[in-house]
Amino acid sequence: MHSDLMKVRRDLKTVCDPYSGNEYVVVLPIMPDVAIIHAAKGSRSGEITTDANRNDRLLAMAAKKTIAVVEELVEPEDVLPGRQEVFVASVHIDAVVMAPGGAHPTACPGIYETDAAHIREYVVASKDEQGFAAYMEKYIFGPEDHNRYLEVVNFRGRKHV
Amino acid sequence: MTKPTIPNQPVKPPEVMIGAISRLLRDGEWVATGTLSPLPAAAALLAKMTHAPHLTTLIYGDPDFRLSEGFHELFALAQKGKIDVFFLSGVQIDKRGSINLSMLGDYNRPSVRLPGGAGSSMLSALVRRVIIFTTSHNKRLFVPKVDFVNATAADDAPWRRGGLSHVVTPLCVMAFDGTKKEIILESIFPGVPLEEVVGNTGFDLAIGERSIPIMNPLTDEELIMLRGPVQERMRLIYPQFAASVWGS
Repeated sequence: MHSDLMKVRRDLKTVCDPYSGNEYVVVLPIMPDVAIIHAAKGSRSGEITTDANRNDRLLAMAAKKTIAVVEELVEPEDVLPGRQEVFVASVHIDAVVMAPGGAHPTACPGIYETDAAHIREYVVASKDEQGFAAYMEKYIFGPEDHNRYLEVVNFRGRKHV
Repeated sequence: MTKPTIPNQPVKPPEVMIGAISRLLRDGEWVATGTLSPLPAAAALLAKMTHAPHLTTLIYGDPDFRLSEGFHELFALAQKGKIDVFFLSGVQIDKRGSINLSMLGDYNRPSVRLPGGAGSSMLSALVRRVIIFTTSHNKRLFVPKVDFVNATAADDAPWRRGGLSHVVTPLCVMAFDGTKKEIILESIFPGVPLEEVVGNTGFDLAIGERSIPIMNPLTDEELIMLRGPVQERMRLIYPQFAASVWGS
């Protein structure tokens, strides 16, 4: 209530809680048109398991459409959450895309780590237009598909077989 | 076509109702059924196996219907507008399309205390079409005015996504007339006299000069699917209901 955010965010409103009489700050819910989440396992039926720390189920339930990119495609009965994972039912998922290494250069917890060297390369390249354009050509527009991208970045996690 | 696993025998009343409900479902719809709803569950399965192959069925109790953590997710889907059709029933139903699931008589001194409205009030406002089903048809059920409104078809709510679509009973199919905001008779089942429907309904069904059609009997395809794969699935989801209709 006394945060300076209230001075700069004119869209934030306050309401009186009719039960307690207290004044509270309220914000509109975020309803993305499309959410794209990365998951460890998924099936053709649409259910997935994903890292619990990322609130991906909440995101999938909030979005109008959700695309799940998965590391591994398994049978529905094998989509079981491990430690630090949650299960997301197929009713919340509109499409499953099989793309091992799809989270690169960020991490897919338990499967591969963040590629810090690649992110550093991106940070340096994005300092000017020319460097950014060269980065885009080398890694995004150049490789003809996802597998080629993984080769170009020298991906060390599990690859598409 | 494969032969039905249940030998040919007269079509039973629950099978007629399942067929009637199935025909109300449209291809591509997301159809959810709640607790104690074997007739709608069988109808959704039948529709998917016949005229509506792209139906999404969300059947409470179906081992194949896997939620992440709880039934509350179904309410979240309804809020988002993903549920097209949901099924309700009532202990009293009136001409305005209101249902009562709470109690009979005065609220504070009820003659009968009922299970309660559960999610009926919220879901009836958030889904596109509500279909009411009943397992009996008499004047204690179809009353001029319900003793307590849990969900209604006709209200002055500032916003609701849809409303009452149809009512399916053991005798007939009724429709909700959105202009007049009342339930009217749409069709009667084969072999059911019109007088039986009128005489067992406690409000006017707005028949007037209309000629009320008799619903087409279940087709061979519908019966083969119903008594074959639908019946097999229903034995997993609603074993007691399946045994009562198709034997044990």
